[in-house]
Amino acid sequence: MLTLLGMNHRSASLDLRERACFAEADVPEALARARAATGASEALILATCNRVEILTRTADGSALGRELRDFLAKERGLDPALIDRHAYVHEGLNAVRHVFAVACGLDSMILGEPQILGQLKRAYALARESGSTGPVLDRLAQHALSTAKRVRTSTGISRHAVSVAYAAAHLARTIFDDLHGRSVLLLGAGKMTELTARHLASHGVTDLTVTNRTYARAETLAEALGGHAIPWDAFARELTRVDIVVTGTAAMDPVLTKEHVRTALRGRRGRPLFIVDVAVPRDVEPAVHDLPGVYLYDVDDLQEAADAGLEERRRAAAKARQMIEVEVVGFDRWRQSVELAPTIAALYEHLHRVGRGEIARYGRRLGSLSPEQREIVLDLTRAVIQKVLHTPVVSLKAAAERGEAGSRAALYREIFGVGAADPAEEPGMDTGPTHAISGGKDD
Amino acid sequence: MARVVLAAALAVHAAGVVLAAFGEIKARATVAQQGAVVLAAAWAGQLAALILFGISASAVPLRSGPEYLFVLGWLVLTLHLVLWFRMRVKATALVLPPVAGAMMLAAYLLSVGAPRATALDTRGWFVFHTAIATAGVAALAVSFAMSVLFLVKEHALKSKRSLRVLERLPALEALDRLGFQSLLYGFPLLTLGIVTGMAYSAAEHDRVLIWGVKEVFPLIAWVVFAGILWARLASGTRGKQSAILAIAGFAFALLTFVGMVR
Repeated sequence: MLTLLGMNHRSASLDLRERACFAEADVPEALARARAATGASEALILATCNRVEILTRTADGSALGRELRDFLAKERGLDPALIDRHAYVHEGLNAVRHVFAVACGLDSMILGEPQILGQLKRAYALARESGSTGPVLDRLAQHALSTAKRVRTSTGISRHAVSVAYAAAHLARTIFDDLHGRSVLLLGAGKMTELTARHLASHGVTDLTVTNRTYARAETLAEALGGHAIPWDAFARELTRVDIVVTGTAAMDPVLTKEHVRTALRGRRGRPLFIVDVAVPRDVEPAVHDLPGVYLYDVDDLQEAADAGLEERRRAAAKARQMIEVEVVGFDRWRQSVELAPTIAALYEHLHRVGRGEIARYGRRLGSLSPEQREIVLDLTRAVIQKVLHTPVVSLKAAAERGEAGSRAALYREIFGVGAADPAEEPGMDTGPTHAISGGKDD
Repeated sequence: MARVVLAAALAVHAAGVVLAAFGEIKARATVAQQGAVVLAAAWAGQLAALILFGISASAVPLRSGPEYLFVLGWLVLTLHLVLWFRMRVKATALVLPPVAGAMMLAAYLLSVGAPRATALDTRGWFVFHTAIATAGVAALAVSFAMSVLFLVKEHALKSKRSLRVLERLPALEALDRLGFQSLLYGFPLLTLGIVTGMAYSAAEHDRVLIWGVKEVFPLIAWVVFAGILWARLASGTRGKQSAILAIAGFAFALLTFVGMVR
């Protein structure tokens, strides 16, 4: 049984999340302690700034909600009652569904954000390297990662901009094919200008020029961004060179006029110019947008783009949830088929044991057999066992496809008089010991 | 037989156009992929029809206006498939397959493959002239498609309304660059086509024909494209004006057929 206990930005305050969080270096040892404390056969810890989640799997089908709560309380020195109030627990397929949703960014603070995929990948790598994962968590993590990639590709959930600064970078990419090597001029050294510049830099922009009426502030920002500062009265010359202009001064009147830009266009050889005006009141004369090859977007335009982006993400999330449902069913079928493996192995083992007994019993009546004759008898017994079990095994696999593996396996065990199932530890269904009757051709 | 194969291929083509356009407009990657595969199947069928026309006529099927139009449509589809599968440029699915389909449908309706009383010359160098000109116009069709998409994208950026359009189409600069690159391929081929055409006309009629429909429109198209190239190389002029001119140039190049199918 899979059990997940977690806290995220919705269920717990930042303060509590910080106290519950695991440092990456501590995770391998924490995983070992979690398994020892809870009796889980597999475990994984996902700790990011917005969530702390512990995922475990037990071999005997028992849920571990309480054990995980106690482990987290002891490990991080928290009051168990506090965890009860702020943590969520998902079991079985709900845990699977939750892991898939997290991987796809559907449970993130910013819907569809892609960083969580890398964080989950890292959490899985840590768990695997420390020997804390087994067949089920391996499969679940890989399935979740591949599903998340597919969801991103087919729904485009993380493509849509959801903040003003992101929208600016996003729009820049709809004009310029690639932002690597593009040049940006920042007019003003305020917070919004800086944030927009950082978004552009995260998309590959490296050539940043900063100017401000107070030169020292331009220098400070330029240093922080890895760009260079120029005096305020030199910005008009830069308009000829740069691809993108971001303005965010505190000026009450426009600092960038249509005439400024018209003059600059003469030296630009038709290259497009993208101007982002994040200032209120606006820094750029609206008529600049009418100039050919110039695209001016102000705060309202960007906010509209961000709102539309969020709406698109919500739509994509609905599609993603449908895709996740299909994947959850697929995972469940795999899990059921894995659970059949011990039953199938036990059936083969049982019949081979019967075969060995009967060969021994009839051995005296058969008299001394030549090696060839003995081999024929062994082959015959094996063939009978294979034929007898063929239909039941096919039927079991079909039952697993329909989600009825558990009840059908129990029925077969009863019919054949085989003991209770040992939990699955090995994936794959065809693990029956078909060579249990020794002395055959392979010996 | 060839006409039956062509009719079937055109039906498949129509299905491909619908699927590809739907996939592109609705951002359904799987549907767009299916559309591309269906168009590739149509392409193969059209190639088979082309070969059958060639076999039945024992000649390169560039004997008449409709055949020229058919080969042109097929080349345009070829370029679209190259862009789609090799260069991952998918937005042309909205322009090139319908244009290619319309050309081949027109060729079909104008009895492609049928023997014509006014059959064109089938000697090697005349075929060379028509083949070069056809390839040139096909490359210019790509420039046309990029220009159409450029104008749509530019309008979306200026109007600030069609945010979905902004996301679905390639970046404005990419459209401009691809359009210009296709022009760089298409223009020399068109020039060579016009020069060989004039040489043929001089050899056959002892004078260079200029004022016929199929002579004057390619010349106008050539002047338009030369103007775009000159403005681009001399002063970097690009963008909306160049796109409008490229669309006009392609329209003039297509008007050549009025002269060829009459």
